Amino acid sequence: MGATTYQIILEIIHYLFFIYSIAAIGSYLVLAAISAVETVEYKRKNSFVNYKEIMSSNISPSISIIAPAYNESLNIVENVRSLLSNHYVNYDVIIVNDGSKDDSLEKLIEVYDLVQIDYLINEQIPTKPLRKGIYKSTNPAFEKLIIVDKENGGKSDALNMGLNISNSKYVACIDVDCLLLEDSLQKMIKPFLETTGRRVIAAGGVIRISNSCVVKDGKLHDVNFPKKLLEQGQILEYIRAFLLGRMAWSRLNGLLVISGAFGLFDKKIAIRVGGYDTKTVGEDMELVVRMRGHMEELKKKYKVAYIPDPLCWTEAPDNYKIFISQRNRWTRGTIETLRRHRKIGFNPKYKALGMLSYPYWFFFERLAPVIEVVGLFYFGILILFNFVRWDYSFAFITLAYLFTVFFSLIALITEELTYHQYKKKGTGFRLLRIAFLEPIVTHPFILYAAIRGNIDYYFNKKKKWGEMTRKGMTKA
Amino acid sequence: MNTNYFLIDYFNESPSIIQVAWSISVVFFIIIIPLILYLKFLRGHLRKKERVTAELENDYESSLINYLYSGNEEEEISAEQQVIINQLKECIKDPFRRKILIGVLLKLKNEISGEIAESIHKLYFHTGLVNFALSRLKHEKWFVIAKGIRELKQFHVKEAHDEVIVHINHPRREVRKEMQLYMVNLFYFEGLDFLDVLETPLSEWDQIQLLEVLQRMENQNISNIKSWLNSSNDSVIIFALKLAKIYNQFEAKDELINLLHHINKKIRLESIHVLSYLNALEAKEILKNNIEERSPEEQIAFFKMMEDLYEQTDESFVVKYIHHEIFEIKVSTLKILKVLNRERFNLLKFESSEPKFLRIVNFIENN
Repeated sequence: MGATTYQIILEIIHYLFFIYSIAAIGSYLVLAAISAVETVEYKRKNSFVNYKEIMSSNISPSISIIAPAYNESLNIVENVRSLLSNHYVNYDVIIVNDGSKDDSLEKLIEVYDLVQIDYLINEQIPTKPLRKGIYKSTNPAFEKLIIVDKENGGKSDALNMGLNISNSKYVACIDVDCLLLEDSLQKMIKPFLETTGRRVIAAGGVIRISNSCVVKDGKLHDVNFPKKLLEQGQILEYIRAFLLGRMAWSRLNGLLVISGAFGLFDKKIAIRVGGYDTKTVGEDMELVVRMRGHMEELKKKYKVAYIPDPLCWTEAPDNYKIFISQRNRWTRGTIETLRRHRKIGFNPKYKALGMLSYPYWFFFERLAPVIEVVGLFYFGILILFNFVRWDYSFAFITLAYLFTVFFSLIALITEELTYHQYKKKGTGFRLLRIAFLEPIVTHPFILYAAIRGNIDYYFNKKKKWGEMTRKGMTKA
Repeated sequence: MNTNYFLIDYFNESPSIIQVAWSISVVFFIIIIPLILYLKFLRGHLRKKERVTAELENDYESSLINYLYSGNEEEEISAEQQVIINQLKECIKDPFRRKILIGVLLKLKNEISGEIAESIHKLYFHTGLVNFALSRLKHEKWFVIAKGIRELKQFHVKEAHDEVIVHINHPRREVRKEMQLYMVNLFYFEGLDFLDVLETPLSEWDQIQLLEVLQRMENQNISNIKSWLNSSNDSVIIFALKLAKIYNQFEAKDELINLLHHINKKIRLESIHVLSYLNALEAKEILKNNIEERSPEEQIAFFKMMEDLYEQTDESFVVKYIHHEIFEIKVSTLKILKVLNRERFNLLKFESSEPKFLRIVNFIENN
């Protein structure tokens, strides 16, 4: 191969990287613009809504909150109390104790006056069998509570058990340690009830990070901005993703993910497609893609809705080890889902799902870390052989950094204009600081975790869920 | 100076792609600085707004309480009240202050009742706030119209009926919803007359809200729902079915039975639920004759109905379905059989070896 051919190949590689970067930046800007339109529309529409009338109505549809729990003894009693304090009238709470080895069940039995009951389960989705059985409270104050004790089968299996147990039309699948706001269910059910002409099959909400927030009697009492840069970085990342990303996908009816921390589903459709997949670590995304694919195949009009209000607060990793493990799992979940549903990708039969959402996820979520690392290796090689054009490198690194800061600032301004959650004086400076530091504080670790996720997916098939050590929210 | 020249020369001599990259970077840099300043201003502004709002709310609340307690029986408006009205009239020229005043008025209105609530209603007129709300009804933006209607509803301004009703088939759902709530909140069951001419769908959310308002009313004399049960608007029929159930409209039984043959599956299903609730035996016989042709949801609803309306003669019919593939149908028929013929039910445990079936039989036997 001659020197000219070599140069042409290098030129092509450079242009491919360049085109990819421009496309990524362009897509972020387009999504942000669509999000802005959608957010304004949402805020306007919801300024007329009286949620009190719906929540007090006994003719509102029934919802089951399904919360799997595994070795959550430390906070289980408080978490259940929080779930029972929702203002919606027609709901029940199904806690699925997924073969916990600790004393979670004993604690629940003692605090909530539980007794074992005879319960006829419609086993529409196969699951691991019951261990000790099903419990209900003898105390009328806790009549909404159902505790299911089953053999360990993982989060998806526990959620499937909840789907089998539930008698409600809608199911809210949540992480047991999540703190739901009191009006979260009526806000989530709204799109299901107000949409006419097409069926809403699922709805997702914004997840907020509760680290450093104060919780009193199972309710969010005081919102604080955490001190650790890693936690701050994740807050900024969540604001950016939820306010400037998912809002736009909701407008385009192209949402592929509803966070496993809190999502509301049409139970009938969720069961019809077979419930949660027990063989993936990205069960939340996988279920949504499967439900969407099912509706497309039936040629039925449908929608996956999204609520930008901060309805669910959850604890985020506060150290790099757990953070990397979490992101590693997210990466594997994305790869698994996209691979499993590859027939959808670039398939016009699936309309926007196949031609827009799937390709976006494939190129800008699935491939992004891989391309970035390949770029870094390539950059290293160029340095090694002294081929680097430093004027090029410096110009593009500066551009990428300034774009990231710009985009984060837009996200922060959107947050202030809409929900203004971090009101305390002095927080503004820390929000600004993290906008400048985040590319250094969290991004390299996200990249590392994503690459580890890829390696584990292809070469370490046995790896399942990582570990998440809960500290519990700060109590007032 | 030399550095500047160097930078300009460097830029001019760079390849165009580098020039583009640096130009965009400069644009970002120029945008980032005002964004930072704006963010700082915004946070300060929002904090200040919250503080000012709280202060104004306190001020208005005191003024309004003074107003309410400075009236006398001789005059409609006392001199002292007139002074407060004049002050408030000045305030409401500013939209921000007007919004806060309306909020405080509503808060007080919801907390009190009787003559004092009536005084607040009068004050809403005397201050001219009502005119602002009425002027909104002619606005070109949908959300301004919707806000206007909502406010007129909250202050029970019945006089605006004619201006509000024109929005009955407004293209925006939010305006229609506010119009509907206005009608029902102020005119109760008579307000439901808009259903006669409603062309757009009435969502389940809207229906629940309307029903909630109606159920709170003291007067529970419902109007005749028969015409709505025959509406060409399917959502109106579904709403009427809900009314039929809540208000036990047994007199509309014939219309309800006719709906068992409606083209819309959801309407057929709801009709079964309502007829079941009303214990309409005729419906059971009609459904028995063609149950196989109906959707699984209708079949489940029918057998649920049978649980309450079974007769001894139904035994052979019920037995045909005890091994039905649908879980709910199996459970319903077994429950009925247990009551109709206990011996036959008991024998089922020996006739079948299928664990799932036996589990259901055992459960029904023990519960």
